[in-house]
Amino acid sequence: MTANVIAAPHPKPAPTISAYNKPYWDAARQHELRLQRCAECGRFWAPPGPICPLCFSGEFTWEQASGQGVITSLVTFHKSYHPEFDNDLPLAAALVELAEGPRLITNIVQADGTPPASGMPVEVVFEDHADFSLPQFRPVRPASGTRPPTPQG
Amino acid sequence: MPAAIDDRYNLRDQTAIVGVGNSAFARRTPEVSPLSLVVDAMRMALDDAGLRREQIDGLLINIGTPMGVDYDQTAEALGLDIRFADQTWTHGRQLGTVLAHAAMAVYFGLADYVACVCGLNWSRSGTVGAPGQNQDDREIGGAHYENPPYGVSSPGGAYALAAQRYFDRYGATSADLAEVCVTIRNHALLNPLATMKKPLTVADHQNSRLICEPLHLFDYCLTAGGACVVIVSRADRAVDCAKPPVYLSGFSALHAGRKEATGARPGLGVWQQDPDEAVPDARDLQIYPKAGVSQADINGFYTYDAMSSVVWMALERWGFCKPGEAWEFTKNGRIGLGGELPVNTSGGLLSEAHISSWNQICEITRQLRGECGPRQIPDAQFLQWGTNRGDSVVFRRA
Repeated sequence: MTANVIAAPHPKPAPTISAYNKPYWDAARQHELRLQRCAECGRFWAPPGPICPLCFSGEFTWEQASGQGVITSLVTFHKSYHPEFDNDLPLAAALVELAEGPRLITNIVQADGTPPASGMPVEVVFEDHADFSLPQFRPVRPASGTRPPTPQG
Repeated sequence: MPAAIDDRYNLRDQTAIVGVGNSAFARRTPEVSPLSLVVDAMRMALDDAGLRREQIDGLLINIGTPMGVDYDQTAEALGLDIRFADQTWTHGRQLGTVLAHAAMAVYFGLADYVACVCGLNWSRSGTVGAPGQNQDDREIGGAHYENPPYGVSSPGGAYALAAQRYFDRYGATSADLAEVCVTIRNHALLNPLATMKKPLTVADHQNSRLICEPLHLFDYCLTAGGACVVIVSRADRAVDCAKPPVYLSGFSALHAGRKEATGARPGLGVWQQDPDEAVPDARDLQIYPKAGVSQADINGFYTYDAMSSVVWMALERWGFCKPGEAWEFTKNGRIGLGGELPVNTSGGLLSEAHISSWNQICEITRQLRGECGPRQIPDAQFLQWGTNRGDSVVFRRA
């Protein structure tokens, strides 16, 4: 298993696949974080859609993103709404702003005791399930292997 | 620059609320039909307006099956003869648009008396956010960033993400938010219709369980349901009704697009929002000159308090305070009865009941008729409904 792939801790609800988000989930299955990028204005966007919502061009590519981002908001569920998460509480969920601009909903995994918080740099990993892979984000590990810096304040 | 107000195209005071009615508000078991609650509310509204059932020829339903009842079944069961029917999904963000729609219908003669109807039994949906809710099935997440693979599947999740962003950006805390809940609870305690009967302190709020942290139990609205009916007519018919009209002076409708995000306001920086978007929007502020008022004339503010945090978002969106200052604005009794800008004087969704804020419209109407007793805002002349999503109505006493 490559460094950015993790095992699914348990089954989870599958994503709803549509015609225009299917490339996102196909790429995730290949352990790639791909987003739509406009061929005209050059910007990335999320969530997936049929055209560039920023300049209305119909020309785009599915480009691999850096996988780097920053937590912009983090919450913790103390209640489970789907039975698959009953044993995961408290469960953290976050909005992560990718380096490319768009924000994604994610969990924060492999936090290793450092409480995740807004401002923390994170990187993508892929959680392999039977029929899909789920992009997740973990605190960035410096090359030295020491703990990532905690956000100030 | 906002366009100058063109009074040739202004509905100011051309329409009015002529009657309001409600059922009892309560958390009910699932077999209780919203339709029976609608009947109670309709009877009261007709009596309030001095109208006969046969005079209702417009019907706007603000949530249908399964939590409510669709327009066709409502008209059939109540024996109404409707020539203008429409139906919207509800979140409270729809409400201003529905009232504007009713006003336009009566103004253009599509109906003489439009009944805006919201009847809800929340028990029929089970736990809001659980599997099987249709919002999970939307391709790119529901109206609250629902994303079940990540365990994000409830309205509270979205509001919590926005609230936490607000806390981080502006230094507000959960204890600050608790004061909003306490103030609105105090209003409910003066309202015999409200389902919450016990006082709430900041300590009670802070000690209550976390649901989606940072939000506590008492930051969440009720799931006590019921029905409200609000009858709208053109102004020339309103003066013949049983009570003084409550005029609809200004309107703003539900906004949508990438500036908007659930539980937030433009410029907060959640979901795909630009964090530097300015609020308030000059176009939105046109509601005031179109209504013939300035914001300083507003005697009370009513907003969709699905979660306490959205009170801050709405106050900032409409410019009652600067971005990042609402958490201070709502302290020291400023939004309480007797304060500078009373908010949600009947107890709102947080402490009265969740009739998608149509209970608030009933309260606004009663306030502007001087019927609110211990809750009465003295000499209330202009009240405003306004949400974090841009819909708004300015109401005027006759």
